[in-house]
Amino acid sequence: MEDWRRIDIDAFDPESGRLTAQDLIPPYVQQTDPQAVQQQISQLKSFATSGDINSALQLATSDPPYGADDSTKALYFRAVLETLTQVRQADIANVVKQLQPQQQDVLIKYLYRGMSIPEGQRQGGILLAWFEKLTQVAGVQPVMHYLTDRRTV
Amino acid sequence: MSFSQDKSVASVLKLVKAPIYSHCYSADRSVLAISCDKNCLVYRLHPQPQLIATLADHDKLVTAVDISIHGRIVTCSQDRNAYVWEPMSNGSYKPTLVLLRINRAATSVSWAPSGYKFAVGSSARIIAVCYYEQENNWWVSKHIKKPIKSTVTCLSWHENGVLLASGSTDGYMRVFSGFIKGLDSKEVVAGSPWGDKFPFGSVIREFYQGSYVHDLQWRSNQERVAFVAHDGTLNIADSQGNIISVNSPDGLPFQALLWVNDAQIICGGYSCHPVMFAADFQSVRFLKDLDKPNKGGNTPQSTPADGQEEEENAFSGISALRKFKELDLKGKVTADEQESAHENTIVQFRPYAESAGNVSQVSSCGLDGKIVIYAV
Repeated sequence: MEDWRRIDIDAFDPESGRLTAQDLIPPYVQQTDPQAVQQQISQLKSFATSGDINSALQLATSDPPYGADDSTKALYFRAVLETLTQVRQADIANVVKQLQPQQQDVLIKYLYRGMSIPEGQRQGGILLAWFEKLTQVAGVQPVMHYLTDRRTV
Repeated sequence: MSFSQDKSVASVLKLVKAPIYSHCYSADRSVLAISCDKNCLVYRLHPQPQLIATLADHDKLVTAVDISIHGRIVTCSQDRNAYVWEPMSNGSYKPTLVLLRINRAATSVSWAPSGYKFAVGSSARIIAVCYYEQENNWWVSKHIKKPIKSTVTCLSWHENGVLLASGSTDGYMRVFSGFIKGLDSKEVVAGSPWGDKFPFGSVIREFYQGSYVHDLQWRSNQERVAFVAHDGTLNIADSQGNIISVNSPDGLPFQALLWVNDAQIICGGYSCHPVMFAADFQSVRFLKDLDKPNKGGNTPQSTPADGQEEEENAFSGISALRKFKELDLKGKVTADEQESAHENTIVQFRPYAESAGNVSQVSSCGLDGKIVIYAV
């Protein structure tokens, strides 16, 4: 039998109205100003170097650069990763507890992003420690939100 | 077999060994129709559930079934067709094929409250609104296409039979007009807070949720729509464009919801037990769990009815095998764990007993092939 699962049925129907990648972009993501993101990155770095982890994470999880382009996102993430790796294992739980649920949802996005790129994988143990503490505090809810949210960091 | 001892479980029907994606009762609750693989099975419930008809014209999975107030059954299937089944006096059903003119699976179907038209959602990004045309002796379907960008998963008619809410995997909950000339009158929507004009197919309002919308239902007297999405939220949208929402208490998404009364909504999904929410116009919040399994809790149990325990002691080899099977198939660590009535995802709720808009018993179907009736 013919491999019918691979038949392009839309080709038989000119009126079907094919979807383009453009159609699936979430409607509310507005372009973020790269300058503003740069400022946030330097602020983040200064928090991190001064050891003010709480402020750094509050900042990173409150206003993530959803609308930025890929290279800006990569820069931003690098700064976040640096912050995450500076926190001592024993302090992670406390930091996580101080975040609002929405902020926890953002935090887990950074964790997943970290695990998906080589730079993050080198710090895999630390990211997993964060992940463990986060799911202990908030359950699977942030994971579900991560899986279904089309806004990426 | 273990079963739930929760007080809220009124009865459990185990009718088939396949997942039940959809079920529906007749208006007097004497007849139950369930989807089962490529068939729709019709049962008479009293005095004992008894199979009275197998509706077998579809040749792919039946995805949804609904019964109109006149007792007509409509089924839709992945074979891209819908059938209307007219009950005959001899107890059989006479099928009529409805040409939906879609090129992908039909996913959901819902009769309008009047029983003279129904809507079918599909993966072809189309909602087909179908009605009977006397002069041609034929069910006609009209399409709502724009601006749906992905599979339509669920549909709900407003009591007025004009407003049609739909949920889709493109992350939108949309309210369309399903106004059919000659069938609906403009009077029923006069003064509606949703708008002034309702030409067929127009988008009245759309709400972006971002994740798959699994189920939704109108509360017509409040002019609000409740919907559940795959991010684990229950949301209520009103005609002003406002949304109030709440997260599932254990983080797992809901697949089904039902308004129990003006202030309560029951939800169910991947956690396999129903959850009640309290809703007013300002907020919606978690109320209670029904039939929630007491994980690891050693509840006092009555003596085993089937004498399985002695058997286990006598043949410890079998017991070990059983333990392994439980662990392997169900992920259960101990055998004495209490279970919920549903052993798999709940996919649909229907009112089982209701009066004046207040539901006192809710029926649910699940991927475990069970129908469970809960007292709420």
